Amino acid sequence: MPIQKKLMRVILLISGIMLFITSSAFFIYEFYAFRQTALQKLSTVGNVIATNSTAALAFDNHEDAYEILLALKTEPQIIAASLYDKKGNLFSHYPANLAINNFPVSPGVNGFRFSVSHLEGFEPVLEGKRQLGTLYLKSDLEDMYERLRLYGTITISVITLSLLLAYLLSKILQKSISKPILALAETTKSISDKGDYSQRAVKSGEDELGWLTDGFNHMLEQIEKQNLLLNEFNQDLENKIKVRTAQLETVNNELESFSYSISHDLRAPLRTIIGFATMLEENFSGKLDDEANRITSVIKINALKMGDLIDDLLSFSRIGRQEIKKTRINTIEMVRQVITESAIPNNKAGIDWAIESLPDSKGDPNTIRQVWINLISNAVKYSRNNSQQRIEIGSFINIDKDQQVFFIRDNGIGFNEKYKHKLFKVFQRLHSADEFEGTGVGLAIVEKVISKHGGAVWVEAAVGKGACFYFSLPI
Amino acid sequence: MRYLKTMKRLYINSLLVFGIFFSSAQTTDDHEYQIKAAFLFNFAQFVEWPANALPETKAPLVIGILGENPFSTYLEEIISGERVNGHPLVVQQYKNVEEITTCHILFINLAETDKLEQAITSLKARSILTVSDNSNFIKQGGMVRFIRKNNKIQIQINPEPAKEANLIISSKLLRVAEIVH
Repeated sequence: MPIQKKLMRVILLISGIMLFITSSAFFIYEFYAFRQTALQKLSTVGNVIATNSTAALAFDNHEDAYEILLALKTEPQIIAASLYDKKGNLFSHYPANLAINNFPVSPGVNGFRFSVSHLEGFEPVLEGKRQLGTLYLKSDLEDMYERLRLYGTITISVITLSLLLAYLLSKILQKSISKPILALAETTKSISDKGDYSQRAVKSGEDELGWLTDGFNHMLEQIEKQNLLLNEFNQDLENKIKVRTAQLETVNNELESFSYSISHDLRAPLRTIIGFATMLEENFSGKLDDEANRITSVIKINALKMGDLIDDLLSFSRIGRQEIKKTRINTIEMVRQVITESAIPNNKAGIDWAIESLPDSKGDPNTIRQVWINLISNAVKYSRNNSQQRIEIGSFINIDKDQQVFFIRDNGIGFNEKYKHKLFKVFQRLHSADEFEGTGVGLAIVEKVISKHGGAVWVEAAVGKGACFYFSLPI
Repeated sequence: MRYLKTMKRLYINSLLVFGIFFSSAQTTDDHEYQIKAAFLFNFAQFVEWPANALPETKAPLVIGILGENPFSTYLEEIISGERVNGHPLVVQQYKNVEEITTCHILFINLAETDKLEQAITSLKARSILTVSDNSNFIKQGGMVRFIRKNNKIQIQINPEPAKEANLIISSKLLRVAEIVH
């Protein structure tokens, strides 16, 4: 509830309660005062009538008695009166047309009392000290209640007017409290909305609100100072980063040229070895014995292998240093191309390809293509001994991690899962080169590319049952 | 109840008339004189006597009967033990006017008109409230007369002789009575 409404509510509540209590007190007092007045009045009337009716009772004069009671006509609130003789018998009653059973049978206790809706009672008729009879009077309380009603109406009107006045006055006066608070609230809001900490709150008055304003402004100063410091610090860091980046780039470039020269420099002697080995094979195989020919072959094979290793190593390191540029990839197209156009050593005809519809993915097309090439060619290679080669390619979404997962499943030779941690390391192979060719760099390349994209690679396999390779890419 | 009593009275009276001749001149009604006795007593409360008539509180207030006593013992019974303004009450019987010394209320029960007139005249200027049944009483200067109307005992008062006798009759009593001159 806004603070102005709160203040108003407090003021009106207190005013209302005070008015109510005061009015109630007066009202209750008036009620009892009215009752006393009514009682006194009836007593007085009773006295007068009783005094006047002594002779009528003494001399047994019913007409006179009735005439005396008839004087009560002037008091319209007296609705019944009766006289009783010495013996307590009904002597005369007023009004004449009111049935006898409305009057008490015989006189009761002296004095007037309030019953539920009437005031009634008995007065002894005395001449000197002698009681000649008893007077009964019954008064209704209508005029008293009317006075009270009037009083009540006035009271309620006054209360209402007072509350109205209280409302108007407090609406004006509460501003002296709420205005400074609202101003401070406004300033706070404006500062946090605009983020402009140079604003200051306006101080009005020397009370607690004034202190609040001062404290607030002080805090803002602190914030401004700290912001300044932070900015300087930031700037500092930025500069440092620039320097480091420049350094890194230099190193990177050095590395690049280093690996380039290595490949060249390493390859030159290698080419020579291969060349000469080939020459031996082609030109001198007749002149050499079997052992020598075998040795020549071994030299050539290994030299070739070394060449492969160097190539793979080079491409691995290049990939590691390249920046990836992510674009939208039509996955299904890429996969198809890889299968049909790429130089994957396979027996295309005999393979059962089960390819689900693959969603588009986000990544660097060149390197992702390499991933597909490596994984698919592995699948083909390691299941070629199975007469019913079957390769499944599919995908699903991992909602928790916001990643798209692709998998390639083959029903080839498989491997023991306990070695799977070795799989993605450079040059690690779980099968010998005789069984399956390869340098052991393919999966390491896959792992590097995918982790650069912010994804992950994992595998499930069993000996003799094939393997399933998974990789995920951020959506 | 009164009606029954009246019937009873008539019956007895008729017996008396047709049967035994009783030499009673007065066909007295017990009840009637009981009421009148009460009224006599009540007069004491509604009349003020001059100071010399009741000099001190101890002085008794005398209710006298001149002539025959029609009240039997009622009057004595009613006043017994009572006081009016502190004055004790006494009943006196007089055969003739000369016997009257101190008296405040006098019930004159004389049948002969001349005797009645004599009595009234001689009692003038004395502070005595004169009361009678006699129909000529007021005409002859009496103050209070009992009259029977509608089976009720009513009072006729002539305030003038009372004033002359220095008696103050309360307005309350005057209201209840028929004022005659």
